[in-house]
This record gives sequence, C-alpha cells and structure tokens, in this order.
Amino acid sequence: MTRISIDPVTRLEGHGKIEILLDEAGDVEHTYFQIPELRGFESFCVGRPVEDMPALTNRICGVCPEAHHMAAAKAADAVYGVTVPRAGRMLRELLYNAFYVTDHATHFYVLSGPDLIMGPDAPKAERNILGVIKKVGAEVGGKVIDARKAGHRVIEIIGGRRIHPCTGVPGGMTKAISEEERDEIKALADGMIEFGSFSLELFDSMLADEAIEEIVKGDLYTHRTYYSGLVDAADKVTFYDGQIKVVAPDGEVFGQYDPKDYRDWISEKVEPWTFLKFPYLKGVGWKGLVDGKDSGIYTVAPLGRLNVASGMATPRAQEAYEKYFATLSPDGTPVHSRGATHWARLIELMQAAETVQQLVNDPEITSRDVRAIPTEVPTEGVGTVEAPRGTLTHHYWTDENGVITRVNLIVGTTNNYGPIAMSVDKAARSLISKGTIVTEGLLDRIEMGFRAYDPCFGCATHTMPGQMPMLVTIRDKDGNPLKELRRD
Amino acid sequence: MTDLVEPGTAYGLRIAEPGHTLVVGLGNPILGDDGVGWRVIDELDELEHDEASLQQACVGGVSLMELLVGYRHAIIVDAIIDPDAEPGSVWCRPLSAVETQDASHLDSTHDAPLPAAIEAGRALGAVLPSDIEVVGIVIERGDVFGEQLSDVVAAAVPVAAAAVVGALRGLRPSSPQGETVHA
Repeated sequence: MTRISIDPVTRLEGHGKIEILLDEAGDVEHTYFQIPELRGFESFCVGRPVEDMPALTNRICGVCPEAHHMAAAKAADAVYGVTVPRAGRMLRELLYNAFYVTDHATHFYVLSGPDLIMGPDAPKAERNILGVIKKVGAEVGGKVIDARKAGHRVIEIIGGRRIHPCTGVPGGMTKAISEEERDEIKALADGMIEFGSFSLELFDSMLADEAIEEIVKGDLYTHRTYYSGLVDAADKVTFYDGQIKVVAPDGEVFGQYDPKDYRDWISEKVEPWTFLKFPYLKGVGWKGLVDGKDSGIYTVAPLGRLNVASGMATPRAQEAYEKYFATLSPDGTPVHSRGATHWARLIELMQAAETVQQLVNDPEITSRDVRAIPTEVPTEGVGTVEAPRGTLTHHYWTDENGVITRVNLIVGTTNNYGPIAMSVDKAARSLISKGTIVTEGLLDRIEMGFRAYDPCFGCATHTMPGQMPMLVTIRDKDGNPLKELRRD
Repeated sequence: MTDLVEPGTAYGLRIAEPGHTLVVGLGNPILGDDGVGWRVIDELDELEHDEASLQQACVGGVSLMELLVGYRHAIIVDAIIDPDAEPGSVWCRPLSAVETQDASHLDSTHDAPLPAAIEAGRALGAVLPSDIEVVGIVIERGDVFGEQLSDVVAAAVPVAAAAVVGALRGLRPSSPQGETVHA
C-alpha cells in the first residue's frame, strides 16, 4: 500500500475531503475521510468563570446550542457539587425535549427525509424540502414549520431566547415559568404529539416502497458495531440524564457506567491523516476502522440509543419501538443498518413530544424553587446529555474560585467518527471494483451514507451548504491521482 | 408557488408585519472573523437611523428563512471565504448572485440552502422579501475560537456598515454581477 500524506493546511475549507486509495488490483485499499475542525476552544475557555460556560458553549454550535447549554449547566452543577431542585430539573428537561422535537423534525423533513420521501432515484434537484412540499402537499410542510415553531416557543419561554437559551446556571435555572406560560406549553405539547404520530404514520407508508425498504434494511450501510447511549433508571431511552450503557454487536450488555467515569471506558485513537481522533472502547481495544465484536468502535445517536435501551420511556414511542424491532430485528438484537436511523429518529421525536406533555402537566412545573445556590468550593465536574447526534460530554476543571483551568469536550458526532468513516468506505467499495470506477452516483451514495448520522463536524454554523460539499480524490497504488470528483 | 395554499394561509410563518426592511448580521461571535456580521450590526446600531430593523443571528437555511418572514426587503451581512479575494474586501450583490458555499451562514449542512428554504416558505404562503442583498466581508479563516476580529477584518466593519446604509438608501444599487465596495 502506498502511504498518502495529506497536508491538513491545504484541505478545502468546509468540504468533507475523501481520499480513496486503490490496491494493485484496482480495488479499494483504504478510504480516508477528513473533515474540518474548529480550533482553540480550550484556550478560549481557560480563565473564564465556570458559570459563564452554559451561555458561552451554546455558541459553539449553531445547530444544537441547547445540547451544549444543558451539558455545560450539568457540568457546572457538578463542579459546585450542587443538586438542582426538582422543578429546575423538570424545566431543563422540558426545554431539552422540546428542542429534540424541532431538531429531529428538521433533520427528517429537510435533510434526510427528501431522499426517502422523494425516493433515492429522484433527480437531485427535487430531493429537498421544496420537492417534499410539492409531493406530499403544503399541509405537510406547514406541519413541519408549526412543529419547529412550537419547539422554539417552548425554548423561548423556558430558556429566555428562541435560539441560544441562557437560563441554565449552576444549581438550576434563573427563572420559573408562570401558569399562563405553562398553559401555552400544554397546548403546544398536544400539537407536538399529533405531529409525532403523523410522522410515524408517514414513515410506515414509505416502507411499502422497495427502494426505501432497501435503505432502511439493506446491507450497504450496515456495520456490526458496539452501541452506546444514556438509559434511565428503568433502562429506557433518555436524553437529559442517566447512565451510559454499552452493548456488543450481538446485543450482549458490555457494561454500564456513570458518565463522569468516561475516561475509564473510552480512549481516542490518533491517526496521522486527520485532526479528529477516533473514540473507541478501552475494554475492547482499537483494531482499526472495522466492525465486529473484537473492534472497539461504537455507534451513538438514535440507532445507538434504541439499541442499548430495553424500550422507550413513553407509551406511544414504546409502541413504535416495538414495531421497529419486530420489523428490523425480531429477536431483539441490535439493528445494524444505518438507514434505520431515520426511523429511530422519529420514534425519539415521539418520546420527546410525549415527555414535553408529561412534564408540563406536573403540578410542580410552575414552582418558584428552580435553583439551589452553590455553597461548595468548586473543583471539577462532568456534564453529559444525549445530543441528537450522540452523547455529548463537557468536563471542566476549575480553581477554588470557580475559574476554568482546563476543559475537555467530546461532542456527539465525534463518537460516530469511526462508523461514519466506515460507511464512506463501504459506499466507495460498492462502486469501485477491479479498476472500474462508477463515478455516477458515487457522491450521492457517500452523502446518503453519512447523512443518516447527521454529522456536525464543524460543530458550528460554518460554511456548509444543505448539500454537503465534497472533494473525492481516487488514487492508484502509487498515490497518483486517477480521478477527482468535486461538488460545491 | 403561492397557489399551493389558500390566500391568507401561511402555516404559522407570518411572524412580522410586511413592509419593513430587515438587516441581519450572521456569524458566530466567538469564532473570530466568522462573527464579523455581528460587528457590522453593532456598528449600524450606533448610527442614527430608522430605516430598518437590525438583528444578529447564528442560523442558516430554514431558520434564516423564518427570520425573514414578513419583511419586504432584507440585507444579509455575512463573512465570506474566497481564496481569490483579499481578506477585508467588502462587496454587495443580490442573493441570487452569491455562491452560497462561500458565504459562511447562508446555508447549513443540517438544513436547506437559503434559496430553497425561501422557495419552500413561499410555497407555504409566507410573505418573504422580494429582494435580498448580501453584503459580504471576505475573511481568511473562521475556524479558530476567539472574540476578536483580525485587524484587516476589523477595518472592514465600517466599510460594510456604509455599504448597508448605501443599500438601504438606494444609493448603491447592485448590479447582477455585484459591486466591489472596497478591496
């Protein structure tokens, strides 16, 4: 194999850069998937008061600021060793589940859904939100907009702002909600559940299409990895808090741990061709970008969360969960097809909507007791939530005055870097054989592979259009470029 | 596209009274030069004017479209990555003439390109600006955390603010090819 050195300084900003190296027979030897990465976050944080972190870190990402806000608030709680009052915790969870409704709705209907609703063979120009509206009607588009609007309104009521909430602080929340605001959220919650039911029914109807069924069940993007995600005390899917459970490819429970112990379970493999490190399970070990029980690569996000839990935490979502496994894995072992992530995401949307309804109907939700004032000397703390794109961990160290001295972040997508790289490799292998390179559809197939993960590599609002810009270079065994495919 | 819905129906998108102009500065204010759009809004806020609403935002795609609903005109101020242009250059051109992959925030990989989002919004009956101008400030990189702008980009802030004012007052109508205000 010829070693390829890629100078990261010359990488194309904002593009997913992919290098495909062929062997002597003209088959794929290796695929290298590079992505841009933001820099300097730790040095940016050091010297700041830890209580600033929830407001600061939600600026990291324009896509899921609520996830960073919650992880940071939880880490700050831990730094001060303070327990959030029940009402404060419920408000955080209420906000966070409303965010899940907006985020999952956007991903399904605007990003991944078009490939499914329009069909994978539809012209590229039609596989977007406008095509969806034309095909299924303006009413459906309106439902999506209304669901987003409802979620954003809940975030605004509880978080103080429609985007980039600012009310999470060490020990709880800065403000309670009024009875009028509670009643407004109640009405919005009903609409969210209706939207969740509609979306699951729509997905059911789509499964009748053989091409869609192939995406959801097919082998193209199947990887038999470990899975990881938060579960609650009843072993159900949870987004805000819980223990991290890990299962093996065959479904056997590998372990369960408190998120603060993540360094005992997870290591990161450095590869010379990419800035981003590959997380893997310490107890299994790094075997390269391969799946199977001997490889420590694990998958997070909707596919991972549903695979590790014994069910969903709410009734309608549980009903959908049972149908999902009855269809895709009747024996209850993990579902490995990445295309199933789209279905899993809608089941999670339903759980989030139902959770909003449950929480807002709790008599204590309007309690004024939403914050415990920290009294302990600050030291170190870990905050972990399930972001839509995977387990998100914030780890802060402070001096005795609560000033940040060190920061470590593991963002959701980072956990999935290994599986994503494997999906890109598999897509390349499916269209390159014995020196024959089927360029038609190669970019689409690669894009559909990693869209299921909804990767957020920039973890910011950086230069990435709705259609993922890509640069694919295919090289011969000596590293000479054979072909370059580019889409801006 | 508006024939897809009944007149007066907008599926919850009508969030502002039409007839106003919105100037929205895009970017991430903690990502160095990437946040220059916010600084231009700060600069405009210092000026005496009643010609437009000002907003700072860190969104793209459908979320950006939702911000524009109800406005008759819009001006978007955004950081631009263009290896062929000098950092600190400022230009003004219609959205239709902008290579959106170069503009940092007009789109989102998790969402839809702004032009598609606008078409979708109109298909849903939303009132959206009939014309959208983009004031672009060329930056060299926007991937390093920091609250400070580079010197060359900071120097472009008043130039970009002047370009916005010019566009607002119709003093600097853009050509289809766009117009370089300062290089």
